[in-house]
Amino acid sequence: MISTIGIIGSGTMGSGIAEVAALAGFNVVMNDLSRKALDSGLNRIKQNLNRSVEKDRITAVVATESLARIRTSEEFSPLETADFVIEAAIEDLNIKRDIFQKLDAMLNPEAIFATNTSSLSITSIAATVKRTGNVVGMHFFNPPPLMKLVEVVKGKQTSDETAAVTVELARRMGKAPVICKDTPGFIVNRVARPFYGEALRLLGEGVATVEEIDRIVKLEGGFKMGPFELMDLIGIDVNYAVTKSVYEQFFHEPRFRPHPIQRQMVEAGTLGRKTKKGFYQY
Amino acid sequence: MALKTICIVGDEALVKEYIALASSKRYKCTSTPSKTTTLALELTNISIEVKQKNLRRLDKSLKKSIPILSSSVTVTVAEQNTWIKHPERLIGLGALPTLLQGSLLEFAPSSLTTDAVKAAAQVFARSLGKETSLVQDSAGLVLPRILCSLINEACFALGEGIADGTDIDTAMKLGTNYPDGPVHWGMQIGLEQVHAVVAALHRHFGDDRYRAAPLLRSASFQDMI
Repeated sequence: MISTIGIIGSGTMGSGIAEVAALAGFNVVMNDLSRKALDSGLNRIKQNLNRSVEKDRITAVVATESLARIRTSEEFSPLETADFVIEAAIEDLNIKRDIFQKLDAMLNPEAIFATNTSSLSITSIAATVKRTGNVVGMHFFNPPPLMKLVEVVKGKQTSDETAAVTVELARRMGKAPVICKDTPGFIVNRVARPFYGEALRLLGEGVATVEEIDRIVKLEGGFKMGPFELMDLIGIDVNYAVTKSVYEQFFHEPRFRPHPIQRQMVEAGTLGRKTKKGFYQY
Repeated sequence: MALKTICIVGDEALVKEYIALASSKRYKCTSTPSKTTTLALELTNISIEVKQKNLRRLDKSLKKSIPILSSSVTVTVAEQNTWIKHPERLIGLGALPTLLQGSLLEFAPSSLTTDAVKAAAQVFARSLGKETSLVQDSAGLVLPRILCSLINEACFALGEGIADGTDIDTAMKLGTNYPDGPVHWGMQIGLEQVHAVVAALHRHFGDDRYRAAPLLRSASFQDMI
């Protein structure tokens, strides 16, 4: 039975997952490299919980109790009691491997190591630990408190039991888990590629303008957002990086080929909403 | 006011959808061209031979002033123009099953399409309660190209056993807010239709990014989800 969840990283994803876990009644140990990062993560959680109280989604008691369940530490030692660790550190294979290797030596051999990676291979992250069967992908979407989806990713050596425990944990956190194999982009980041890729090609070929393509996709197709609005929201740089990563991991499969328009926009620094200029002006 | 008569021919699923909508908007729909026909719709996406035959028949039977709105998601209007004597009456239409649920129709005029035909297409769309968008004549037009490419990618993922169909649909609806999952949507459109669009993109662009997923071609699809 899982009662304590360790979370590595207190950025948007780490703190968001910590919030979800604490609200679901788990004890949480949130770890990061610096006190400053931990405080800023904890502040984000406090603000979110306060907002939820203001909007009557939770009571003030629930917010206080949830917050009290979260401990923070710059050291790994408080993670020792964790039954389940979710790693949400930066997307760097060596850093993730290093974290799991350290934990491997400390934690109960039954403990499960989940990684929130969106672009690295679970199999590869698991390769340097002893408990390869206990390593799994648990891909939350941004922002974790709002997004229901969790991709539970089975690496080459992930055991069925580990996957089942992870699915059950995601459900207990109020999420909707799906199971997928460890392949580039998992489900969402792979299957969504043509939404952007074809829109960019249509634009590049002059079939229709940015505004017309978005209008058609929304009115004719019933999509909430057009591909260009969505790319501006995600960030042109982020979207381009995901496309490039999937393309390269699939050995240059032409279905995932990025478009020069993306690269040019990244080079120009017009990255979408965050720079006030992308396909649209903000 | 007398009912306007329109002649609708083509793929069964599309003909059905268009007749249902047009009839509800007080059009009289026929499957053969006649002297009273004021507008014709050619809605074949699957077989180019059938499409060619239908268009030639419409072109021969109808006065040359009668506009023909012809689905151009699997063959460009430029190519269809070469099949008939009066290509100036032809305008491309983005017809694909389920898309009439939306509130917009895509039209693709060719360089020969007259202004009168463009206007007639827009008046017809408005009478069906649809907005319009004029796009360049290109295989798949806009939404059918994006949508069928998404469904094709979902079919690759499904065929490679990445996840089951239900999970793929759940992931896309919750992860990207799509109005429907690509596997379910593909089934609603009809896999033959989706395959016809993807195959047309492959032919048109000669780019392997548009090759069809094996599952799209195989009847085993149904069993896998």
